[in-house]
Amino acid sequence: MQPISSPAELAELRSGIIAARDPNHIWVQLCAGTGCLACGCEPVAAAFRQHIHDQGLEGVVHLKLTGCHGFCERGPLVVIQPQGVFYQRITPEDVGAIVEQTVKHGRVVTKLLYRDPASKTRVEKAEEIPFYKKQVRLVLRSNGLLDPTSLDDYIALGGYAALAKALTMTPEGIVDEVKRSKLRGRGGGGFPTGLKWETCRRAKGEPKYVICNADEGDPGAFMDRSVLEGNPHSVIEGMIIGAYAIGSHEGYVYVRHEYPLAVKHLSIALGQAREAGLLGSDILGSGFGFDIGVSRGGGAFVCGESTALMASLEGKVGEPRAKYVHTVEHGLWDKPSNLNNVETWANIPLIVEHGADWFASIGTEGSKGTKVFALTGKISNTGLVEVPMGITLREILHDIGGGVPGRKKFKAVQTGGPSGGTLIVETRDARIVHSLEEAGEIAPGETVTSLLDLPVDFDELTKAGSMMGSGGMIVMDQDSCMVDVARYFIHFLIEESCGKCLPCREGLRKLHEILERITKGQGEPEDIATLQEIADTLIDTSLCQLGGSAPNPVLSTLRYFRDEYDAHIREKRCPAGVCKDLVGYAVTEACVGDAKCAKVCPTGAISGGPRSLQVIDQAKCIQCDACYQVCTFDAIARVKRDRAEEVQAAAKAAWRPVKERGRAEARA
Amino acid sequence: MIEPTSSLPARVDQIVASYQARPTALIMVLQEIQQEYSYLPREAIERVGERMDLALSQIYGVATFYKAFSLEPRGRHLVSVCTGTACHVRNSKSILERLERDLQVERGHTSADREVTLETVNCVGACALGPVVLIDGKHYGHLTVGEVEKLIAVIRPCACGKQN
Amino acid sequence: MPKVDITVDGRPISVEEGSYVLQAAEALGIDIPTLCFFKYVKPYAACRICVVEARDRRGRTRIVTACNYPASEGIEILTRTPRVVAARRLNLEMLMSRCASMPVLNDLAAKLGIEKPRWGTGTDTCILCGLCVRVCDEIVGAQAIGFASRGAARYVTTPFEVDSEACILCGACAALCPTGHIRMEEAGGREVVHSEITLGPNAAIAVPFRQAVPNAPRIDPEFCVHFRTGGCKVCAAVCPKECISHDDADRTEEFGVGTVVLATGYADLDPAPLKQYGYGRLPNVITSMEFERMNNAAGSTGGRILTERGEEPRTIAILHCIGSRDEDHHPYCSRVCCMYALKFAHLVKEKTSAEVYQLYIDMRAFGKGYEEFFHRILGEGVNVIRGKAAEVVRAGEDCEEGTLLVRCEDTLISKFREIPVDMVVLCTALEAHGDAKEVARRFGISVGADGWFIERHPKLGPVSTTTDGVFLAGGCQSPKDIPDAVAQGSGAAAQAMSLMTRGEVEMDGAYAVIDEEICSGCRLCNDLCPYGAIGFVAERKVSSVNPALCKACGTCAAGCPSGAIRALHFADEQIFAEIEGILS
Repeated sequence: MQPISSPAELAELRSGIIAARDPNHIWVQLCAGTGCLACGCEPVAAAFRQHIHDQGLEGVVHLKLTGCHGFCERGPLVVIQPQGVFYQRITPEDVGAIVEQTVKHGRVVTKLLYRDPASKTRVEKAEEIPFYKKQVRLVLRSNGLLDPTSLDDYIALGGYAALAKALTMTPEGIVDEVKRSKLRGRGGGGFPTGLKWETCRRAKGEPKYVICNADEGDPGAFMDRSVLEGNPHSVIEGMIIGAYAIGSHEGYVYVRHEYPLAVKHLSIALGQAREAGLLGSDILGSGFGFDIGVSRGGGAFVCGESTALMASLEGKVGEPRAKYVHTVEHGLWDKPSNLNNVETWANIPLIVEHGADWFASIGTEGSKGTKVFALTGKISNTGLVEVPMGITLREILHDIGGGVPGRKKFKAVQTGGPSGGTLIVETRDARIVHSLEEAGEIAPGETVTSLLDLPVDFDELTKAGSMMGSGGMIVMDQDSCMVDVARYFIHFLIEESCGKCLPCREGLRKLHEILERITKGQGEPEDIATLQEIADTLIDTSLCQLGGSAPNPVLSTLRYFRDEYDAHIREKRCPAGVCKDLVGYAVTEACVGDAKCAKVCPTGAISGGPRSLQVIDQAKCIQCDACYQVCTFDAIARVKRDRAEEVQAAAKAAWRPVKERGRAEARA
Repeated sequence: MIEPTSSLPARVDQIVASYQARPTALIMVLQEIQQEYSYLPREAIERVGERMDLALSQIYGVATFYKAFSLEPRGRHLVSVCTGTACHVRNSKSILERLERDLQVERGHTSADREVTLETVNCVGACALGPVVLIDGKHYGHLTVGEVEKLIAVIRPCACGKQN
Repeated sequence: MPKVDITVDGRPISVEEGSYVLQAAEALGIDIPTLCFFKYVKPYAACRICVVEARDRRGRTRIVTACNYPASEGIEILTRTPRVVAARRLNLEMLMSRCASMPVLNDLAAKLGIEKPRWGTGTDTCILCGLCVRVCDEIVGAQAIGFASRGAARYVTTPFEVDSEACILCGACAALCPTGHIRMEEAGGREVVHSEITLGPNAAIAVPFRQAVPNAPRIDPEFCVHFRTGGCKVCAAVCPKECISHDDADRTEEFGVGTVVLATGYADLDPAPLKQYGYGRLPNVITSMEFERMNNAAGSTGGRILTERGEEPRTIAILHCIGSRDEDHHPYCSRVCCMYALKFAHLVKEKTSAEVYQLYIDMRAFGKGYEEFFHRILGEGVNVIRGKAAEVVRAGEDCEEGTLLVRCEDTLISKFREIPVDMVVLCTALEAHGDAKEVARRFGISVGADGWFIERHPKLGPVSTTTDGVFLAGGCQSPKDIPDAVAQGSGAAAQAMSLMTRGEVEMDGAYAVIDEEICSGCRLCNDLCPYGAIGFVAERKVSSVNPALCKACGTCAAGCPSGAIRALHFADEQIFAEIEGILS
C-alpha cells in the first residue's frame, strides 16, 4: 500500500474503508484469544468456514477471528453482527444451527445464549450479561470487534486518529495533556505517567528510547497479552505518540516468549504500520521519525524489573542494577529511557483523542481511568474485565465475577502476583477478625468493615495495606491453604530470583525452608518471628523490587491468616486440607457408593464395592487428591491425618445405602 | 521440532546473519536455535560466540539464566504443567505429582528414553481452563487428577500402566 | 564534579557529588564491612553487607548500599543504627547457612557480634560475591568465567564447566577470591601466568629480588595481563606517584664516548654435562652459586641451609675444581674456589651441626690472610681430603649416614674413599662469557683461546688493551677474587680518567692512509684491521682509515690488493732508505 502522507489522507482512507463495507453483510466475530484457542475455537472456525462455503454465503457473511472478548469462562465465544447476538461455549456441532438460524434468518438459537444464573433467563446481547454490564471497556473496547491482523479494521474504528491529532500538537502539549489526565502507570507501581515522560524528555543524552514492557510475568495475569494479541495497533499508536512527546526515535517492545501469538500479531501490525507510513522516517508526512523493534524475552520473571528488562534488551543476563540513578536518565545503553507497560501505552491514544478532561472524569480523585484485571481462580466467571477506578471489590467479584462457584466459601483475593502478593479478604469473617485481633492489628471487639467494600484505586488499596498490582486478581475459597499459598509464591520467586543479591537469593531460600517445614507439620512457634525478621531484611536490603516485595505473600497471609499458621504449627493441622503431609482422606457417610473414587485411585487404596460405603486404606493412600476431586457428593473429607481412621469409623456406623437413606429422609 | 536440513554451523550462521550479528539480538538468536533443535547444542553456542564476537561465558550465562533455553536435548513430547496461581489454587500440584509418578520423570527433566520432557510453566494465560496441561502445545484444561491417565495415553499409548 | 557536604555518623565531610558513600566513610576512617567490593572494579552491590541508613534533606530514611550510593548535598549517612546492624547480621547468617565455615565469614561474624550463626553452616565455599567474574571481565578482559543459572542455583563457572580457552591463566580471580573457592591448577601443559595478582615475588610486576639493583619493581611483559589483553593497569591505578607507564619500551641509544671500561664479568660453568657429579639428576647436588643464594637472608630458604625436603643436612661435601684444572674443560685454575669453599665450610659449621668434607687438588690460599683462614677452618673440624672427587651417586636404601655417596681417592693416604653425605656443593669453574669474542671484536681488543680478554701487556699494561681508551676490569680479563677485581677496576678507572681530564688524545704520527684514487672499495682491509680503524665510505665507495684508532701495524697496507694503502712514515722508499742507512 502507498504510505499515508498526511492526516487528511488517513481520514480519507478511513471513510473509504467504511464506505466499502456493506451494512447488510453479516460478520461472525469469533474470539480467537489464547483462552478461546485453548478451549477449541479453531475447529469452530473451521466449521464456520465450511458452513459458509456450503451454503454459498461467501462474500455476504464474513468470519472474523478477533482478539479476546474477555469472558474466557464461557469460551469459545462468538458474536453475530450487526444483530449483536452473543453465543457462548459453542462447539463445531453448534455452528450449523447458528449459520442456519441466526446468520441466514436472523433467528436466535436460544440454547447457546448465556443464561443468567441469578434471573435464570437467557440473555441475547453481550452488554446485558452481568459480566459485561458493570465493566467500562476502554482499553479493551475494540478487542472483540477487530481482526488484530487487519490495519483496515483498526483504522475503520478510528485508529491512528489520535496520532494524527498528536502530530499537530507540540510535544510539550502532549506531555501536559497526559499529566493533566493523571494517568498512572498500569504496571503496578502507579507512578504518574506524565511526570515520567517529562523527566525523560528533559533528561540529558541522546538518543532517547521508549520501551513497552510486555513481559507479563505474574502467574495468573494475561491483560497485556490480550491487548497485544487483540489490538496491537493501539499499543503501537500509544508508543508513537509517547516517542513524539519525549523526543525519541527508537522504541522496543519487550514481550514474553511464552506469548507467541502476541509476538506474531505485534510483528504483523508493525509491518503494516511501516508500510502505511505510520512508522518510519516521516510519519504521516510530519517529518517525525520513529520505529519499533520487538524483543522476545527469554523467560525470566525478574525481567519485569525495569533495569533487568533493559539488560535483557541489551542481550545480557537479566540482572537488575541499583536504581539510585533512574532509568529515565540512564536506562537502555545508559541513555534516557521511558518504560511503560502495555496497558499504559494503550491508554495514550484515548487520552489524546478524547482529551485529558474526559479521561480524568472516569475514576476517583487519585486514580483516573479504568483498570484491566485478569479475574481467575475460584470464581464463576473467569476472564478479563475492565472496570473504572473506584469500583468496589464486591462489585468485581460478585456482580462481574459471579462469586465463588459451588457451595464453597470465599476466602481471599490476591492481587499483583508474587510481588503484589496482597490479600484482600472478607474481614467480617469471624476467624479473620480473631486473627487480626491476635496480631494486634485491631482492638478486641472493634467493628471492622469488609475490605470487599473498598473502592479499587491505587491509594485506597495502599491504605488498606494492599496494592493495585499489575492486574492479576486471583480468588481463593475455603480449599486454599494460606500457608501453602505463601509457600507457593516464595517457591515461584526462588526460581525467578536472579540470584545476584544475597538477601533475595538466600532470604527466599530460608523463607521457603521455614514455610515448607510448617506445611509439613514441623513448624516451631518461633518460626513466625523468624519469618517476620527475614521479611523485614528482604524489604530493607534487596537490590531490586523483586526481592523488596517478595515477602508480601508471607506478610499478608501472616496478617490475615495467622490462625492458619498456628493450626499448622501448634496442632499440625491444615484447615484447608491442602498440605499433603498433614492431611488424611476419609470417606464420610455422604458416600453413595458409586465407587468413582475407587476407579481413579492410583494405588488401589479405596475398596468397598458398588453401592456400598467406600473405605480408604490409610496405609496405601498417597494423598494425591484424586478421589476428592472426582467425588460429586462431597463424600471425601480432607481431615487431619491422624483422624482419618476415626472419621471413617464414624461413617461406617452412620452409613446407609442410598435407597434406605431416601426413605429415612422421607420419614424425617 | 523441525529436523535440521542444513548442517548446524551453516544454520547458525544463517540465524546470526538474519540479525546482522547484533550482540543485542543474542537472546533471540538463541531462541531460534532452541526452536529449531529443541535445545542449544554446545557446538551451536560456540559458533554463535565466534560469529557474534561474544565471550562464551556471556552466552553460557544467558543460556542458563533464561528458562526458555535448555542445554539438554528435550524429549519427543513436551508436557508443560501450568503452575500459575490460578491453576495452583485449582490444585495443579496434584496433577503434576501424578504425572511425575506415572511418567516416571521428575519435573524439569526428560525421560531416559527421550520420549517425554516434563516441565512446569508459570501461567500459560488459559486461567479459565485451570488446571491446564499442555502437551506439545495442545491445551488440556479443567483437569482432575483422575484424568491424568488420559493424558498419559496421549503420550505413551501403550505404556500407560493400566490397559484400557 | 562539584563538591557536596554530607555527614557520616554525624561527622561532616565534603566529597565529590556522585562519589560513593563508602569512599567518604573510608576517608573518615569509618569502617563499613563488605564482601563484594573491590576498588578497581565497578561496585556491584550484591552482598548487601555494606548497607547503611541514608537520610535525605526531607528527613526520609531508607536503607542503601554504601558501595554504590551516590553522595548528594545534605544526606546523612548512619552506619551503625540497630536497623542497619540487624540487616547486616541476618544477611550474614543467611549466607553462612549456605556456606562452609570460612575465615572471611567467621571474621565478619565476629565483627558483627554473631557468636554462632543460628542456622549453622553449610558446605558451599563460594559466597557469590562476583569478584572473580568482574575482575576477569573488567580488568583482565578475558571473560573466561561467568555466572550460570539463577536464583539459589546460581554459581560461578567456566562455559560448559570445562577448562576455558579464554582463560589466560593469570590467576587474578583466584587472588581476589576471598574464600579460596577458586584455585589455579596446571592444565594440560598450559603455563600459569602468575599465581598471585598481588605485588608478591611471582607477580608480573615485582622487585626481582630483595637486593636487586635498582631496587624498584619492574613489569615482566611476558606475564603482565595488560600485555596479553590490553586491560588491567591496576598497578598504575594504585600507584600514588603515577610512576607506572605501560607504554615504555626497550630502545637502543647511541652516544659518543672517549673511553670505555669493559667489566662484563665471567660466567659459571654448567656442571650438568659432567655427568659423574649428578647435577640436575640427583637431589641435593647444587652449585656454589646456588649454595650462596641459599645462605643469603633474602634467598629462597631465608638463609637456612636445607635439603630439598626441607631438612638440615647431616653431612655436606664441597667438591673443588669442577671444570677447572681439567684438561677436558678448562686447564686454568679458577682462583677463587678454594677460598669460598673454605668460607662455605665456615658457614655450615656456624649455622648447622653438619660434618663438612672438602675435596681438593691443591689448597691455594695465596692472598693476604688466606692461609690463616685455612688453618682456622681446619681448627673448626672440617675434613679436608686431598683428592679430586670421582663421582657422586645415590646412596643405597640401607645407608644411614646420607642419601648420596661421594667417591674419591684420598691421595695423602692412597686410599679409595666413599663418603656418605646429604648435600654436595660443586665449586664450578669460572669461565668467559660465550659472546666474549663478539664483544672483543666490537671493541677492537684481543681475546685469548679460553675467552678471557687480553690486556695490552701481562706485566706492564694489565688494565689497558691494544685499543686506546678501552680498559679492562674484573672477571672478564681472568678469574679473580673480589680484592683483585676491585684493584683492577680502580686502575682502569684511573687510566680512563687521566685520558678524560686531558680532554684530547695525543696521536702517533704514524698511521695508514688510503689513496682514494686507487682504492677499489673491496673492503678487504675493513676486516683485516685488528683495531677496527678502517671503515667504508658508502657515498664515495672507498675505505677510509680513522687515524685515531690506527696503530700503524701495517697489516692493511700489506693486504691491500691494489696497493692503495700506505703507512705514513713507513713508505717503501723510507724503509729502503732505512735499510740502506743501516747497511752503509
